[in-house]
Amino acid sequence: MKKSKLLALILAASMVLATSGCGFTGTASSAAASGPAQSEGTAKTSDGTITVYDTNEIRTMVQWAASDNNSFTILNNVSEGLYRLNEKHEPEPALAESYKVSDDKLTYTFTLRDGLKWSNGTALTAKDFVFSWLKQMSADATNNYSFIMTDYIVNGAEYFDQKAKAEDVGVKALDDKTFEVKLKQPTPYFLRLTVLPMFFPLNEEYVKSQGANYGLKAENMIYCGPYTLATYDPASGSTLKKNDSYWDAANVKVPNVNVRIIKEQATALNAYKSGELSRVTLSSSDVPAMKSSAEFSSTSEFRTTYLQFNLTNKAVSNKNIRLALGYAVDRATLADVVLADGSAPATGLIANGMFGDGTKSFRELNGDITTFDAAKAKEYWEKGVKELGSAPSLVLLTEDDSVTKTVATYIQGEFKKNLGIDVKIDSKTKKAKNQLMDDNNYQMAVTAWGADYDDAMTYMDLWTNGTPYRGNYKSDTYNSLIADAKKQTDDAKRLQDLLSSEKTLVSEDAVVSPLFYRGFAYLTKPNVENLVTHPFGPPIEFKYASLK
Amino acid sequence: MFKYICKRIVYLLITLLIIVTTTFFLMKKLPGTPFDAERFSLLSAAQQAQFLEKYGLNDPVIVQYGKYIGNVFRGDFGTSFFYTGQPVSGVILGRIGPSALIGLQAILIGLSIGLILGIIAAWRHNSGIDYFTMVVAVLGVSVPNFVAAALLQYYVGLKWGVLPVAFWQSWKSSVLPSIALSFGVTAMIARFMRTEMLDVLEQDYIITARAKGLNQFKVLMRHAVRNSIIPVVTILGPIVVNLLTGSLAVENIYSIPGIGSLFVDSIKTNDYSTIMGITIFYSAFYIFVVMVVDILYSVIDPRIRLASGGKGE
Repeated sequence: MKKSKLLALILAASMVLATSGCGFTGTASSAAASGPAQSEGTAKTSDGTITVYDTNEIRTMVQWAASDNNSFTILNNVSEGLYRLNEKHEPEPALAESYKVSDDKLTYTFTLRDGLKWSNGTALTAKDFVFSWLKQMSADATNNYSFIMTDYIVNGAEYFDQKAKAEDVGVKALDDKTFEVKLKQPTPYFLRLTVLPMFFPLNEEYVKSQGANYGLKAENMIYCGPYTLATYDPASGSTLKKNDSYWDAANVKVPNVNVRIIKEQATALNAYKSGELSRVTLSSSDVPAMKSSAEFSSTSEFRTTYLQFNLTNKAVSNKNIRLALGYAVDRATLADVVLADGSAPATGLIANGMFGDGTKSFRELNGDITTFDAAKAKEYWEKGVKELGSAPSLVLLTEDDSVTKTVATYIQGEFKKNLGIDVKIDSKTKKAKNQLMDDNNYQMAVTAWGADYDDAMTYMDLWTNGTPYRGNYKSDTYNSLIADAKKQTDDAKRLQDLLSSEKTLVSEDAVVSPLFYRGFAYLTKPNVENLVTHPFGPPIEFKYASLK
Repeated sequence: MFKYICKRIVYLLITLLIIVTTTFFLMKKLPGTPFDAERFSLLSAAQQAQFLEKYGLNDPVIVQYGKYIGNVFRGDFGTSFFYTGQPVSGVILGRIGPSALIGLQAILIGLSIGLILGIIAAWRHNSGIDYFTMVVAVLGVSVPNFVAAALLQYYVGLKWGVLPVAFWQSWKSSVLPSIALSFGVTAMIARFMRTEMLDVLEQDYIITARAKGLNQFKVLMRHAVRNSIIPVVTILGPIVVNLLTGSLAVENIYSIPGIGSLFVDSIKTNDYSTIMGITIFYSAFYIFVVMVVDILYSVIDPRIRLASGGKGE
């Protein structure tokens, strides 16, 4: 009968699929990585494996193409720069054992450690830094991060534009162990840049031998960090194994790390409860129930969400209107009650904890320059309306993700409560919102910026271009402060420039109104210790972690 | 039959070309570029131009279209923007497996349970099992699969610890998502089968068969089921396409690296080459399944002839 033939066909097809096509990613690796005995509960994470997750795919392992946190996390743990962030988020010697800086602060000479090796046994030399840094400064770099080198390194920008030759660029291997960098201007945070994945070394011979396959799979890469990649699948995650040829291997305590991809918050929580994850990030709604747990902790990042006003828009071109809108939002309630996920209320553009003068943070030095004051808000609003002739109608542009929409709705309520005005919310996809801003087609928008590196300049530099995205802000005072900070050799004066520039931008000109610093509330299994999360750059650090 | 299939394949290609063309031009109307807008806007105009040039995004859309079609005919679907450097064909192929497996299992579960329930419900019309089937059918259709998925995950995965909570590690990982997806299929098939069977059981030839003295099982299987199954085959086409091409919600809940989430993500990130690749895959697959369903008709019901040369049993 034909029906039985059909059935046989379906069965055959399903068997083919089951055996070949479906690519279960975990089987081979988890068996190899975590041993045969996997039991329930916390036991699963105590067999020498830490399992964490990301909410998005790991886009790429090619460091000159990587620009997202998920890729950075993996890269930072399988590779290493001259320096690495320690548990307190400060740079400490990594592949370099020391550095010297010239008196004019323009030449950095790094000395590499003895006996450094790539995971394939090749010696790691200063030439590997020259190759990768030049790569990052060339048009090959598709991560749009070239500026992080070309802004500082002599002839970097010219090399990018193909107007300078490689040998004219300020990166040199003086010998196998000595790497020299020449800077255009004094950059007190230069060491803190060398911890970023863009600054990691690459072996020219190996990269070239792999061609277009480089970084596509775990076996198409070599490693020099605390871990090596055992498997890499953008969609289902990565498994990491301790790198025995790492110079500091003796201090890497956890032998295996899994990084999975989980997009659904509820799934992550269930996986954590069933012992499949070592740490889970909580959503605002889960925080109240979990807050008293011993596994609970929270932290805030160097990422500021703020209101960007478009100065060429008639309604918000009035400074009093902008000041009124800024004073009208109660940020403490926003962070502590509405978001309640570890986020901190913004008191300025530069996030809590960012580098200041070495003893105090930038935020502590500049004080609270963004405040909530309903009476002042009302006063400025009335002044502004008088100047404009009539009350403007306002539209707030936001992204359509749930957190940003929550924030926008809260702000809308605050404007209603404290100013008595109705503001419309225009919620768009991320791409559409950014396009509207680039096209100068918005009034004010909820937008955010995360620090690329630990210095106020990573924020303050953004408003010097006068682009529509940054509200068409063009101020000579502001630009000269930033220009001066960039060439200042005196660190104290430079800091003063930056402190003043934040005040100019936020409180005097009210171009932006900071709202909150993004935070994370999470649970960590009691047997996991010292799983460090950095507030910027590569987020999760496995090197210092240990298991009880 | 052979001539008929050839003709259908030609139509398939023409339809595909129309779909690809429409999608390509609509896709170019999406706001933004495939690059991170905040960083991209920091580049100077010259750098931006250089970047777009590198990916051929500076050309007029019609030129880009010409180049793309040319490459597709040569079997080159380009490389993904989002997964920098990964060939699109590889990205898609890697994601089809998981979606297809859970889809196929869901269909097998849904089909077998649905058919059995439908047949019994019709046979024992207005009995307890009939009402039970109808309740199952209403529940199956009205409870969205992601609710079923979340409930199964919580109880079977977490509370009872019988099957994995999530992830794609072994065949066990595919069981819960398959069951979650199968509810809708079960419900739909059961309802269709019951309705058709009730109709068929009223027919004269059933009375004839019974009058011949055939036993109840043979009457049901050989005469009633065979004649009731055609509408089920019709709806099976779209169901197969739907399930085998992935479900965003269920894949996300179980953290399965399937193709459903890839499609949505590629649109969100303006990953042009991946959007096109998946569009081609989806539409080719859909048209193909519709064709197979048409051919299946003739296998099941000799009265339906495909073309002049078609032959039944």
